[in-house]
Amino acid sequence: MRRALGVLAALVLLGGVTYALIPDDGTDPKKPVTVTGLIGSEKRAFFESPEVKAELAKQGLEVHTDSTGSWTMSEQARNSSGLDFAFPASTAPAREIQRNWGQQDSPLVPFYSPLVVVAHAPVAQILKDNKLAAQDAGSGVWTFKMDEYVNDLKANRKWQDLTKTEGHGELSGPIFVTTTDPESSSSGALYIALLSFVLNNDLVVSDDAGVDAARPVLHQATALQGGQKSSSDEPFRDFLAGVGNPLIFGYESQVAAMAVQGQPTGDMVVMYPDTTAYSDHTIIARTENGRKLAGLLQNDEALRALEVRFGFRPQASSGAFADRVKAIRQPVFAQDLNAAQVKQSPVPSLDNLLKLTAAAKGSPK
Amino acid sequence: MNVRMKYRGWAAAALAAVLAAASACTSSSPKPDPNPSPTPNETARPGVLRILAGSELQDLTPILDEARKATGVTVQFAWTGTLDGADAVSSGRADGKYDAVWFPSNQYLRLDPTGKSKVLSETPVMVSPVAVGVRSSVLNDLGWGDGSKVTWAQIGDAAAAGKLSYGMSDPSRSNSGFSTLVAVAAAFSGAGAALTEEDVQKATPQLKQFFTGQKLTSGSSGWLAQAYTRAEPGKVGALVNYESVLLSLNKTLPPEQRLTVVRPQDGVVSADYPLSLLSSAAQSERDSFQKLTSYLLKPEVQQRISEVTLRRPVTAGTAPAAGLPADRRRELPFPGTRAVADGLLASYQNELRRPSRTVYVLDTSGSMEGSRLTSLKAALSRLTGTDDTRGVRRFRDREEVTLISFASSVKWAKTHAVPASGGQPGPQAELASINADVQSLSASGGTALYDSLEEAYRVIERQQKAASDDRFTSIVLMTDGESNEGATDGDFKRFHDGLPAAEKSIPVFPIKFGEAAVGQLQGVADISGGKLFDGGGSLDGVFEEIRGYQ
Repeated sequence: MRRALGVLAALVLLGGVTYALIPDDGTDPKKPVTVTGLIGSEKRAFFESPEVKAELAKQGLEVHTDSTGSWTMSEQARNSSGLDFAFPASTAPAREIQRNWGQQDSPLVPFYSPLVVVAHAPVAQILKDNKLAAQDAGSGVWTFKMDEYVNDLKANRKWQDLTKTEGHGELSGPIFVTTTDPESSSSGALYIALLSFVLNNDLVVSDDAGVDAARPVLHQATALQGGQKSSSDEPFRDFLAGVGNPLIFGYESQVAAMAVQGQPTGDMVVMYPDTTAYSDHTIIARTENGRKLAGLLQNDEALRALEVRFGFRPQASSGAFADRVKAIRQPVFAQDLNAAQVKQSPVPSLDNLLKLTAAAKGSPK
Repeated sequence: MNVRMKYRGWAAAALAAVLAAASACTSSSPKPDPNPSPTPNETARPGVLRILAGSELQDLTPILDEARKATGVTVQFAWTGTLDGADAVSSGRADGKYDAVWFPSNQYLRLDPTGKSKVLSETPVMVSPVAVGVRSSVLNDLGWGDGSKVTWAQIGDAAAAGKLSYGMSDPSRSNSGFSTLVAVAAAFSGAGAALTEEDVQKATPQLKQFFTGQKLTSGSSGWLAQAYTRAEPGKVGALVNYESVLLSLNKTLPPEQRLTVVRPQDGVVSADYPLSLLSSAAQSERDSFQKLTSYLLKPEVQQRISEVTLRRPVTAGTAPAAGLPADRRRELPFPGTRAVADGLLASYQNELRRPSRTVYVLDTSGSMEGSRLTSLKAALSRLTGTDDTRGVRRFRDREEVTLISFASSVKWAKTHAVPASGGQPGPQAELASINADVQSLSASGGTALYDSLEEAYRVIERQQKAASDDRFTSIVLMTDGESNEGATDGDFKRFHDGLPAAEKSIPVFPIKFGEAAVGQLQGVADISGGKLFDGGGSLDGVFEEIRGYQ
């Protein structure tokens, strides 16, 4: 797998990736410093928003970003000079980028977001009626039953096998959750990490035996999806357009951003897997300006408020997200993940995650 | 080089602003070919985004004009098919030449690791499922009500029973054809998961039945629509294409030809039009890309896109345009590997589809001597090679190919039946034999164009009578000069008027080469319902492109 990444990286290099770095002459205080970096597509709306740009400009930064899948990012980062930072959606690709850039320190995680399963309300109700999902009577928070789901994957259970699906033409064929391609995108890789944790009796897979034990179900969960898309934006947009699989795996922030900003969310339901992975948005700074940006994202009060506005949970102010979402009833968000009894599945080591991903994609051992 | 509009800015594209499908309905006037090959050799310019795109995106012209005013980003398009476009990206031919690609789907592109690595970022902009547009009279005869409960199995049964005939574009060239092929293979095999070779095997009998109903094939959806409107009443009862194309086409059709859009209940394959930034793009073009995508995803722009193109919006809270049904369909799984995708295409061409009867009328007059004849031999020879994984070029298994060499009169006519694979001898020997005939072409004499073309019809008549079979039948007419002997254009018109209906509907695809008389060739294309192609300097591209119509 590592070798495969190397080959891809070499091809990217042949493609001639270049970045124009506008030099900072450091003399004109009115002229902001240009900072260039790679981000996951889930953060694109944040970096493009006029408010965020204005706040960063106030701090003297003009940030240029390209969005790409997190694994693709580590290949791109390896071969691009002139990058000030890379900002993938989880720690594993962040570690890979750090390795490529020869860095040792602990990068900042300014904000995080749990991975969730998104469905339309009638589908969530059918899952609930069939014990695949539950809704807390008090808080209204939905959870998705991972053990049941894994059993259904093993049994190749179909929508037709569930009760109360009459009148839903789209509910036929096997029950599965659509993700992005785990070889190119964080959310897809975190799904594999999550499944492997559940399959391994709620323990992180830490050896080849664990990889082998998880292999059949991981492969099944991936093969069911057919061709996979490369960043989290795509399955979500398909879902919004009313096409694609009824269940999609994505970041809580994708839905929360819409809800917090008062955009219509239709009948969308956010289901928290009762064991889920968190996406730790990890910024790896390569230059002084990159470090400045990382610090601002972590500590600047105004930027933290904007992070919540785009659906993220700032690491340094845990109540900020809860305060913003508590009045929102459509869809309902978990103000406190512990209180909602959502367990966090740790992410395996980079080597084991790559092995699990390869197993899921059906690559030979 | 092929005909084809050069790389154009929006001002020029506005001329072709009518929907590709809609514009195709004015069949008599020559119009720009919506499938130009990418020719630009420009360097990047700030504020300009060079996009290699599917030709159906011509319908976005008004929206991109507005985008230019709002964002300062000008889009320049070069058109290509989705699968050819994927090849251009994978091979590196798009690097530096384009900043972005925009096809109906990146699914095929993404199945190639190299192609995948060349795309930095992609954002779906609008969605349209592949659907079957059925004439209301046919819908009634089949008892399908309003069409909302129809399954692929019912469509396949109706086709097998001879009750449903349809047009569909060539899956090796067009994403709508390819998506249809994937959808029916998934539906018939009952594949729950990504299609495998076994699934395709399992579905083969039903797929063959389904494709007996395919009466029209085409390399482009524009010509397909044109052929549908030309077809005699009752011959073609349905068209398979994107929902958006069918609905747009309806706006231009007379009531009796209008199509009811059927999205089969057991599932569809949808195009989500991802605007995709190439990793080779420079920073200023990356910024232009971000500006353009942000603009296109604004709710009010999404609304407008849906109203103009009849595709579905991808932002929550934006209502689809009136007439787009809201009930959802299962999305059928796409193959997970290139091998399966290409294998499915090869099966379609060589095994599943109705076979073709293909006649080439080749000008070997004295003026063809030298490099022109060499070029013709090379172009035809490429069609006999077996290095063609998805069946995009080569003469197919079960195809009947006739070569007619003419000058002042027909010099010779030779027919080859390419056998199916698996038997002895296989297709390879026959392909080699076609190539031997190609290499034997020699140039001398005048140009009796119409006499020789009339002979092609007689050859077909004899072949049809002898075999009494049902094939896709077409004629390619290649010339580098003006008809200067024998029958005139008026004679040919009278000859064509006197043909029986079945022969009258055979399309002729003339290829203009050298000093060919464009007026004569356009006339032949118009009379026969074919399409004129430009051989330009080299014939390779055009002979390959015409394969999509045969």
